[in-house]
Amino acid sequence: MVNSRCHDRWLLLITAVLVIFGSIMIYSSTSVVTPVLAKKNVTPFFYFKRHIFTMIMGSTFMYVAYRTNPEALKKAAIPLLVFAFILLILVFIPKIGISAGGARRWIRLWPSTFQPSELVKLAMVISLAKYMSMPSYKTDSITSFLIPVGIMGLFQVVFLKQPDFGAAMSLCILTVAMLILSGIRLRYIMMLGLLLVPVSIKLATEPYRLKRILAFLDPWKDSQGSGFQLVQSFIALGSGGIKGIGLGESKQKLAFLPESHTDFIFSLVGEELGFIGACFIVCLFLLMFLRGVSIANRTKDPFGYYLASGLSMMIALQALINFCVITGLVPTKGLPLPFVSYGGSSLLMNMVAVGLLLRLSRGDEVRRVIDKTEGLIERKKALMSVYGRGHALSRYGRANGQGNS
Amino acid sequence: MRKRAIILNTAIAFGFLIVIIRLADIMILNHERLNERAKMQQLKGENVQVRRGTIFDRHGREMAVNLELESLYCDPAEVASAEKSAYVLSDLTGKPSQAILTKLNSGGHFVWLDRKLEPDVARKIKETKIKGLAFVPDAKRFYPKGHLASHILGFVDIDNKGIEGVELKYHSTLSTSGRKVLLSRDASGKTLSQGVDMESRGNNLVLTIDEGLQYMVETELDRAMEKWRAAAAAAIMMDPLTGDILALANRPSFNPNSLSGSKNFERRNRAITDCYEPGSTFKIIIGTAALEEKVVSLDTPFDCSRGVVEVGRRRIHDAHKHGLLTFKEVIQKSSNVGSVMVGMKLGKERIYKYAKAFGFGEKTGIDLPGEVSGLIRPPERWSGVSIGSVPIGQEVAVTPLQVLRAYSAIANGGLLVTPHVVSRIISPDGKTVWTFTGETKRVLSQKTAETFRDILKTVTEEGGTAKSAAVSGNNVAGKTGTAQMVDPRTKRYSTEKYISSFVGFVPADNPRIAMIVVIYEPKGQIYGGVVAAPVFKKIAENALSYLEVPREDNAGDMLVVSR
Repeated sequence: MVNSRCHDRWLLLITAVLVIFGSIMIYSSTSVVTPVLAKKNVTPFFYFKRHIFTMIMGSTFMYVAYRTNPEALKKAAIPLLVFAFILLILVFIPKIGISAGGARRWIRLWPSTFQPSELVKLAMVISLAKYMSMPSYKTDSITSFLIPVGIMGLFQVVFLKQPDFGAAMSLCILTVAMLILSGIRLRYIMMLGLLLVPVSIKLATEPYRLKRILAFLDPWKDSQGSGFQLVQSFIALGSGGIKGIGLGESKQKLAFLPESHTDFIFSLVGEELGFIGACFIVCLFLLMFLRGVSIANRTKDPFGYYLASGLSMMIALQALINFCVITGLVPTKGLPLPFVSYGGSSLLMNMVAVGLLLRLSRGDEVRRVIDKTEGLIERKKALMSVYGRGHALSRYGRANGQGNS
Repeated sequence: MRKRAIILNTAIAFGFLIVIIRLADIMILNHERLNERAKMQQLKGENVQVRRGTIFDRHGREMAVNLELESLYCDPAEVASAEKSAYVLSDLTGKPSQAILTKLNSGGHFVWLDRKLEPDVARKIKETKIKGLAFVPDAKRFYPKGHLASHILGFVDIDNKGIEGVELKYHSTLSTSGRKVLLSRDASGKTLSQGVDMESRGNNLVLTIDEGLQYMVETELDRAMEKWRAAAAAAIMMDPLTGDILALANRPSFNPNSLSGSKNFERRNRAITDCYEPGSTFKIIIGTAALEEKVVSLDTPFDCSRGVVEVGRRRIHDAHKHGLLTFKEVIQKSSNVGSVMVGMKLGKERIYKYAKAFGFGEKTGIDLPGEVSGLIRPPERWSGVSIGSVPIGQEVAVTPLQVLRAYSAIANGGLLVTPHVVSRIISPDGKTVWTFTGETKRVLSQKTAETFRDILKTVTEEGGTAKSAAVSGNNVAGKTGTAQMVDPRTKRYSTEKYISSFVGFVPADNPRIAMIVVIYEPKGQIYGGVVAAPVFKKIAENALSYLEVPREDNAGDMLVVSR
């Protein structure tokens, strides 16, 4: 039985809590049906039902990812990236691609839609992990730097064309983070600053974007215009206070706060569950990231290490950017909160990422030989972790000890 | 490489920490400010619907009250045998069973079957125990005095919403408890609850109306209608010092308790909503203007011996030839010829100025719905014959209330008052929350007002046009008016249809009441002095004794008149 192997139960638990929590918040956010929506046959369960369907699908995908051999994944990395690129191009083809809100980000996938940018991130992490684990990868070689950056640049062009600045930003940050992690020369990273040039040109030619980007600095100045969403987010968070106004009690979801079930669902969490609830979510993501780092540290081969690091950063950075957007620390970007926001593609891909992380946490593919006794000990400790205290330290200690041996 | 991983991971973890600090800043430190902001946009102050308040007359007598009844509704989905139920209900409510059956078979989960049922009917229906039927308490507006003051009180619809009169004008006051309740709203501004609170009562109104005086006015109007077989009539009694409307009545009238039997024209409050050409009562304008502007003195002579005066193509006649008249006699005898001569002396600018000052062509601001402003043309739009028409009250459209207010200004020494019917608003717990404080505006010097009052006194004396308005024991100051109606077919003055009016105040030197009586289309007689003045006299005599106003001829005795 797969489950008898020692995968990271904490990671699984955190994921489960986030996903279930997300479904509750989505129901809270979308169960108020206005007469306008009612005419379109939208019932209080419309979004919730779809989300549950995605959750079931996500769990299946997660299990498949868990059962996938990392070696096989390594081989499939480049084809996967090409496949993701093709899907990304498909959004521009009429009838297959779907345009919404002035952007083409989705492809039609009966009965729903799919956002290829989510797959791109995952494929990019796998490909980078493969590339960085290859013997030809040299941290002081400009070629080793330019190839991944070039590929990223190719995706960036497509993202800017859609336009999807949120995806562009998160892919860029993710790639750079992985490059830094691989130990590439920092001066190469500095060169990346040159990439800001086309961005600046784009901003200069379309001033409304610059205005929207800078609106986050003082949203109150134009609280009915460019700062509207952020002000509504602040009002939602602020009215929550420490304890929140109660689950399901949100007033901001009554059409005040745009995107309250997708990108800005965290504002709703703050309003309904207060500072305590919001911190709980932030801490879950932090904990998840730390689990990911710990899994990475326990892996033996470079591919596993980069893959585990990349996947945990993919989730953590996306969550972090979403938090920063909602709290007005960075310019407003359309980015969903992993596991919690309504949105099938994001949930599916993040659950696949967790599935892969869980597989890596088993460590059997990497360590090759499993000491049955040790496995039993780990199981026992895992059980202790549920009931006993101080388990985390002992576990860390062991993990580090193994890393050093 | 290991070091980099530690730095990078620490940086990311640190990012989460910053988010938590930022959250604490927004959610804890700025909680109060943002919460205010949230309340501001999420809540909407709304007046909650409650039981309507009571309307009292000036002495606390109930004019409009609520009857606590019950309304019957049903959930059609729950009614088992619709046909049988419809038959039973039809029998009890007296409504056609087919109509009830249609309701019982309708879709949805709520349908009114009958509103405001009599208590014994409701009891019998409850005894049938038909499934799916239910009752809610419902208040029916009831006017204990029936016809009395119906044009002032107005009425409400089935949902107790004010439709006419004070019920309409003061609807929100009557139907709210005076406090605003905060209701949740969505971004489009829709409130999320109805805000109906039938346990609470609304504010009560205290009218300026005196039920006793109102009764006298209405009784006499009825008699006059019968005597002169008139088409309509209106009378207003006002306290000339304060603008308190003491009584206001129109004929034809209606009973607000049985609206279905009343017609639209019966509901018209013609005292304020209908214009007429005032005729001689409008001579107040040239009379006061000429005195105030010192164009004439009391004894300035006007040669009216020809009995006619030409203005452009038009010839203006007197009712009969007068000879040489002083200014005082021109008013007393209501000479058209003399009045036109005075008007010519004044010029159109000054006539217009004084007419406007007396409030003609503008709403008086009375707190009743539907008031009209009337019409007085500015001098630049006068035709060549206008100077012969306006001084004698033609080519102008006024309401009876406007005329009464102008004469009240003579009574009170030159002040234009704001007429009103509600004097106080009393909260459900008995506190006075609002009291009428109307504006008064000086339009005439005290001296002119007193001089003109003395002239008006002579109208009811020997040699005046309205000897029949004289009240025994007290001086009456007033003026008659007899105006031809414009025939709507020929657009010319009719030779059969007249409007007779008398407006005045009493006691002349210490006025307690000012009153106008307007009789539309009297048959047989047309003159204000014959038709309207006796009505005035009768009401005034009753009212003075009711108000216990001492007789001026014998201060010791009280006139006792049974009513």
